[in-house]
Parts: sequence; structure tokens; C-alpha cells
Amino acid sequence: MIHFDQVSKTFAASQRPAVDRITLHVKQGNICVFVGPSGCGKTTILRMINRLVTPDGGTITIDGRSIMQMDPPALRRTIGYVIQQVGLLPHRTIAQNIALVPELLKWPRDKTEKRVLELIEMMGLDPSEVGHKYPHQLSGGQAQRVGVARALAADPPIMLMDEPFAAVDPIVRLRLQDEFLRLQQTVQKTICFVTHDINEAIKLGDYLVVLKEGRLVQTGTPIEILTQPEDDFVLSLLGDDRGVKILDLTRAETLMEPFENRLGPIKSNGHRVQSIDPVKIALEMMMQKNTDEILVCKGTRPVGILRWPAIKTHVNRISGGTV
Amino acid sequence: MNFAGFICDNTGLVLEYTANHVSLVIGVLLLSLALWITTGLLISRHARLAGAVIGLGNVVFCIPSISLFGLFMSVPGLGLGRRTATVVLVLYAMMPLIRSVHAGIRSVDAAVVNAGKGMGMTNLQLLLKIQVPMAWPAVFAGIRVTVVLITGIATMATFIGERNLGRLIHQGITRGDADMIVAGALIVSLIALLLDYLMGRVERIIISPGLRYQSLEPYRGSA
Repeated sequence: MIHFDQVSKTFAASQRPAVDRITLHVKQGNICVFVGPSGCGKTTILRMINRLVTPDGGTITIDGRSIMQMDPPALRRTIGYVIQQVGLLPHRTIAQNIALVPELLKWPRDKTEKRVLELIEMMGLDPSEVGHKYPHQLSGGQAQRVGVARALAADPPIMLMDEPFAAVDPIVRLRLQDEFLRLQQTVQKTICFVTHDINEAIKLGDYLVVLKEGRLVQTGTPIEILTQPEDDFVLSLLGDDRGVKILDLTRAETLMEPFENRLGPIKSNGHRVQSIDPVKIALEMMMQKNTDEILVCKGTRPVGILRWPAIKTHVNRISGGTV
Repeated sequence: MNFAGFICDNTGLVLEYTANHVSLVIGVLLLSLALWITTGLLISRHARLAGAVIGLGNVVFCIPSISLFGLFMSVPGLGLGRRTATVVLVLYAMMPLIRSVHAGIRSVDAAVVNAGKGMGMTNLQLLLKIQVPMAWPAVFAGIRVTVVLITGIATMATFIGERNLGRLIHQGITRGDADMIVAGALIVSLIALLLDYLMGRVERIIISPGLRYQSLEPYRGSA
């Protein structure tokens, strides 16, 4: 879908390149997360996709077409853009803000109005309550939801999101992340997402791109990055709780002992999780109920049992510790 | 004090002077808005040019008005009367108007412009749909100062032949007639107040309600 080939950028005021010969591919329908400390070039990479920044070298193509052949405003109207500061137009109502790109694309008025209503509802807000308000009357979380709705308005195939949840408080952030993942299930956009928060990257990303000082350090799925960190930089970025983070990405069925291998009757202490639940949920339940085993179910049917030693061994193996 | 009596005794003259005064101020205002708001917008993209133009406006503003009227009077084609008065007053309006337009455009939140650009607005659309509407509060502050200023300085145009309320004040001084001075000054103040009030009404129509609460913080924090 989006392809970078040897893309570089050095800003006029700087000695070292902000982005240094980056080659990567973002697959259709994926959430690709660019993660790294500040100054690693992640925002610059994002802003090159919609030509807010022009690369000095290399090519960027979308569906095989070089973006340099496209008219920048026309290109940008086909790419949703969400930023940390939201950037809602303070002099326009929420409905008028969401209608911005359809307005630029000269959609008929009734089509735009219908789309705006649909989006406000999709964001879990009440159109009759929020539509006529001005941005200063919204909470941070509501403003950010409106920012996402505005980016989705013209149904662009690609979305660029630059630390969209960084400015809200942690509780709201978690809720927005969950809503975002649920939304992506239905809209299936190709999303480039920038964050400095490795936990957010692991939670949201289908594919992670780890950057340092403009260079690409490692790419891969969250589980690949967690289990096989390339070097000390990635290791330190992941933090000391790498093994425990993996439990959030591992399904209970992966570590359970399936019942077909088991002899004898099923005995259960009544505590159960779903097979697709993360192991972290099972672990939490074990600690809460002070037990060492949890029944794993598919719907109501028990399919296996998850034991504490299996979790311990798994974390130990991944963290590279000794048995 | 019997300035009311003075006005009653000289109604025709006072009305003529008032009408001349108001028509001069309104003409100057319309010309100044067209000229200086356009200039302000044009220079807002070039920092160095903006510095030079605002500097020029400051210099003009610092020249005593009576000498400026005198100087322009001797320019061929201007002479005594309305033309010179208009040119000089338009020049006085340059500083407050250009400055407020420039400050207004510069005060626009960079994140909003970034978002607008990222969504595919052209430079003209950014200017007309984001920068100008968001600059209105600052621009209106400048316009209202200018209105009051022009109304006052216009009295000086009496020295180059304008038959306006400045004449009442000037002759009041030469004759030592306090009633005449007060009558002139009072009507000038009333005109300034009235024009300022009218601009306030226009402001309420033009400036979006979304911008009238800017002193509050932009977002309230939690969901």
C-alpha cells in the first residue's frame, strides 16, 4: 500500500539527517506504529506521506504511484490526518469541523450532513448535543474523538495519526485506545501511527517500526519485537517488564494444557477465562482468587487448563532468564 | 456653561460641520479598511517585509498631524480640502490597522493551520477559512481604536480648509469662547462613541461565538 524506498531528509538547520535512508512497506488494512524517543524522525516520516515535508532523497509510493506526481492538497484530501493538539477550527461548530474535507471535496450538502451525523454517532457522541457546540466547549477526550471523526469524514483509505492520544489523561487514553481498536475492526483503514509510548505501540500495532536518530532499528510484529529484540536500544525501549508485556499479547489457549491430552475427569475450581483472552487476564484472576489453575473455555465449552508453572516458564524463556 | 445654547443658536452651522466630519471619517475608514487590511494580509507571510511596513506605519504615526496636513497640502493635485484630509487620515490609520491584522494572523494557533494544511486546504483556503476568521477579534480591536483615532484627528483638518467640527474648537480657542469649544468637543466625542458602538454590533455578527471565550482554556481536560 505505502512503500518507502531509501527515503532521507535533512532539515536546513541541522547537521545530521532527521530521516536516514528508510525503506519499509505498510500493508493495506494494517496499523503500522512508528515508535522511538523524541528526535528519532517518526513525525517527519509521517509528514512525508502527505507531503507536509518533502524528502531530499528516495521515493514514497502509494499503491505504486509516486506521491511526488500528485498535487499536495488533492493528495492530502485522500489521507486522514490526526494530530496530538487535535487542531479543531475554534470558530466552527463540531459538525462544521467534521464536514471540512467533504466541503473541500465539494460534496453535496445532504450527503455531507448525513455523513457528519453518522460519524458523530460512530464516535459514541450524541449528534443533537455535540453537533452545534464549539470546540472550546468539549472535553479533551471528546475533542480527540471529533478529531478522529473529522479525519474519517471523506472515508480516506489511509489515516496518519501523530500521537493522537498523548495529550489526554491516562484513563481517557486507555478508553480512546480501546475505542480506536474497535473502530478499526469496522473501518479497516491503513493506519500510520506515531507514538513515543512503547506500551501504546504494542497494544495498537499490527506492525512496529522502531526508530532511533532517523534510522530504522527494527521492524516486526509486536510479539517478534518483544521476543527477539535486535539490540540494547530496543531492549531498553521495551523496558524491564518485557516478559510480562508478552502476557498481554499471548492468548490463554497458547499456553494452556488442552483437554484431549489429559487423562481422568475434569476438575474445576470454577474460575475460567476465554481461550482468546490474553494470559494477563488469567494471571490477574489467579492472583485475585489465589489459585494456580484456571479453566480455559471456548464460549461455555471447557477446552483446556492454564497453569501457573506454564506461564512462569513462558516468561522465563522469552526474557532469556535461566530456569 | 451654555454650550447647548450655542448649538441651538447655530443649528445650521453645527449640522453642516457634523455632516462634513462624519462623511470624512466614514470615507477614510472605508478606504483604510480596504487598503490596510489587504496590505496586512499580504505582508503576514513575509516577516522581513512585515517589519519594514509596520516600521513605516510607526514613523508616519509619530509625525504631528498638523505638520502632515501642511506637507501634503503642498503636494500637487491634493491642495486644500477633502483630498489632503483623506490622504493624511488614511496614513494615520495605517499603523493601528496593519499592526492588528499582522498580530491577529500571527496569533492563529499553528496546530490549527497544520491540521488544515494536512487535510488538504490550499494556501488561499487556509487564509480565508482559518487565518482570517481566527484573526477577526484582534483585527476588530484595531478597527475600533482606528475609528476613535480618526474621528479625533479629523478635527485638525480644519486648518487645511475642511469645514468640520474642528472649526468650532479652533474658533472657540481664538475667540476665548468656552461654549464653542465644549460644543465641538462634545459632538466629536459623541460621533466617536456612536461609531465605536456600531462597530461593536458589527463585531458581534462577524466574530464566531466559538472565538468569544478565548480567555478560557481551550479544552477542559477529562472525557
